[in-house]
Amino acid sequence: MEMRNITKAFPGVVALDNIDFCVEAGEVRSLCGENGAGKSTMMKILNGILQADSGAIMINGNPVKIENTQEAQKLGLSLIFQEFNLISTLSVAENIYLGKLTGGNNRLVNWKELQKKSARLIKELGCSIDVRRKVSELSPAEKQMVEIAKALAVESTIIAMDEPTSSLSTSEIKHLFTIIRRLKESGITVIYISHKLEEIFEICDSVTVMRDGKIIKTLKTADTNENELISMMVGRPMSMEFPKRVSDIGETVLKVNNLSGNGTVKNISFELHKGEVLGIAGLVGSGRTELVEMIFGAVRSDSGEILIKGKTARINSPRDGKAHSIGFITEDRKETGLALAYNIVENIVITKLEKVFKRGLYRKGDANRHVTTFIDSLNIKTSSLNQSLLNISGGNQQKIVIAKWLFSDAEILIMDEPTRGIDVGAKYAIYLLMNELVAQGKSIIMISSELPEVLGMSDRVLVINDGRMKGELTGDDINSEKVMSVALMQA
Amino acid sequence: MKSDMEKGVKKGLPGGVDFGAVLRTYGIVIGLMIIIVAAAVLEPTFLTKNNVLNILRNMIVTGLSALSMTYVFMLGMMDLSVGSIISLSGVVCVTLANKFVQTDAQDANTYPIILVAVLLGAVMGAVNGSIITLIKGRLGASFIITYGTQIVFSAIAMLYTGGNFIFGSYYKGTYAAFGKGLLPIWLFLVIAAMMQFILKSTKYGKSISFIGANRDCAYMSGLNVGKYIIITFIVSGICSALSGFYVTARIGSATPIQGNGYELNAIAACVVGGTSMQGGTGSVINTVIGVLVLTVLNNALNVLGIDSNSQLLFRGVIIILSVTLDMFNKKYAVKKG
Repeated sequence: MEMRNITKAFPGVVALDNIDFCVEAGEVRSLCGENGAGKSTMMKILNGILQADSGAIMINGNPVKIENTQEAQKLGLSLIFQEFNLISTLSVAENIYLGKLTGGNNRLVNWKELQKKSARLIKELGCSIDVRRKVSELSPAEKQMVEIAKALAVESTIIAMDEPTSSLSTSEIKHLFTIIRRLKESGITVIYISHKLEEIFEICDSVTVMRDGKIIKTLKTADTNENELISMMVGRPMSMEFPKRVSDIGETVLKVNNLSGNGTVKNISFELHKGEVLGIAGLVGSGRTELVEMIFGAVRSDSGEILIKGKTARINSPRDGKAHSIGFITEDRKETGLALAYNIVENIVITKLEKVFKRGLYRKGDANRHVTTFIDSLNIKTSSLNQSLLNISGGNQQKIVIAKWLFSDAEILIMDEPTRGIDVGAKYAIYLLMNELVAQGKSIIMISSELPEVLGMSDRVLVINDGRMKGELTGDDINSEKVMSVALMQA
Repeated sequence: MKSDMEKGVKKGLPGGVDFGAVLRTYGIVIGLMIIIVAAAVLEPTFLTKNNVLNILRNMIVTGLSALSMTYVFMLGMMDLSVGSIISLSGVVCVTLANKFVQTDAQDANTYPIILVAVLLGAVMGAVNGSIITLIKGRLGASFIITYGTQIVFSAIAMLYTGGNFIFGSYYKGTYAAFGKGLLPIWLFLVIAAMMQFILKSTKYGKSISFIGANRDCAYMSGLNVGKYIIITFIVSGICSALSGFYVTARIGSATPIQGNGYELNAIAACVVGGTSMQGGTGSVINTVIGVLVLTVLNNALNVLGIDSNSQLLFRGVIIILSVTLDMFNKKYAVKKG
């Protein structure tokens, strides 16, 4: 497959600038670059979701025209989105053969045949999912498998995966990689889009780096290293190191005693100090998100107590959490962090409207002034205060979520996956921001699926597994071996 | 919307105007103008003072409910019970008036009756809002719950009256004045202006808009979502109850089916005015324009002597056209982004 001189412009921005891109059969190619580099646009053109302004696409040397997704499928091109494109109310089998439920000239669905065929595909992938189950009951990893099976059902020869591991646990990622290797052996090309460099080096044969709508370089993964890739992506030399800070840890601001509830959090106690970054390490499903949601009030606790600055706090809703000066940066910016259709001002002032109201009336000037201060201090890139957040990059969106809690004067900031889905440069900016916040005397609880991030940023790490506290690491003990050994320790 | 306009001008077409942008932004106003001009040309009596006042007074019944329906829409919900609230409020007002406003000396009792209507509306709204909050319902739930309460409130009105028409025995003085002349029109415009102001400039207005834009985010931002839902349905109940009172002041009688169908008129007015059913965007002023379009159209067709069945045809087409226009608007906005 080959893309030649592809150009695509959106009003105001050239998303792809004369791109030449080609992949060979049976190759696992990584496509990497910062958000907005043009990776998604390129994949969308390849799958007929968007049309290029100019340029040509060739498959096996023949020029093809891809007007829509159906045509892309016929040509053997499939794209698996980060957010998945499955119908959750239908069964696995129906999803795999969606649009082709009836074979040939049949007008009725042969359910037995359908289930047999889809079960075979699932089995080929080395999974055991009952194809009669509804997709809504599946875990993210299982959904991923269904997506791959779906691509195989239409006999795809090129499968593009956009951030396939963003919601998978370590063992699930391993399984995914096994499958990718198997696909590769059967001659299928995989285009692997990811921000996670270590994955790229593990699974990909070659890597194409994009920046600002251009292809910077295509390299064999064996001939390069992480730092080289990063500097190519951001356009300047940069290291993956976490920014250093001198911690100034003060008195206890939050104390959690024997907190339990929701069937996912079991008898957890810990303390958080002023000026501290407390990392929580644990796999997806370990109860880590539920624990912090309980502290904030989004999930009810059954027993245990929470003390804020030494006083018992009754926290039954996010409103109570906010009143106790807790801010919660949720793991899903789009769903629970921001109202994307609204502008930056409306999104930030919502946490403490009374600050921009005088005698019951909205003071637009005050609101704009507050927000402008945040735009400057957090270095948020936005073209105007009135612009909706739909077209703002993930990194800037994340800064806005942080800004809205700073606006509420939160002292304790809970950050659930603060750098999910944002590019390397923006991640670094978030780390710097975290350092600055603790230097100002705020306290941060951080959850992340990326262990290096937890290890690199935390003063202290709590290890949680199966809803239970497994241990607490400080100083030199904060390393991945220790975390794993503590997490897997028998109670 | 404004920026669309500016862009059109900046594009520097020969005339300096981007017709597409004008149509998208002011399509509904242009439509209203066309209806008015066409009717005035075809039938000179259309623009007489009496007929214009008639149009404005007719507008109020749907209008009051449509104002509060805009709030409900902003929240991303729907209130189907407003028609029944109009009916129930109407029959209660006339029954009370028949008891307590029988002589000129009792004229001032009209005000407590209005207060009773307001309270009644508030209670019915609180019932709607509380149930929806209790079950953490969204658009779909609000639809079904208020459909249920519509039936219940309507049944109460039927039981209360025994299904009978109630004639107002004393129909003059203050009570009747609320349905005559310019007074109701001014009152309506004042209420509309207040509601627009509350929506755009108060904490309540900002909060319900945000909840409509992204309810989960509003909850996680520490907003008391339930409280705002209940208040909004109370506002809806009060406005509809006032509308019920107004009908009786205008015609001097009440029936338990008086308000049937008004919920759909109010919804249509919001939609024609361009308020989105998905929540988060809309304005009371646009809804007033929407009500005007529907009422003017209705009146124009009447004045032109077009039979009521054909009238429905026009009404349906207008509603479909305005939703289509709205969708084009959104598509354009997305493309631009």
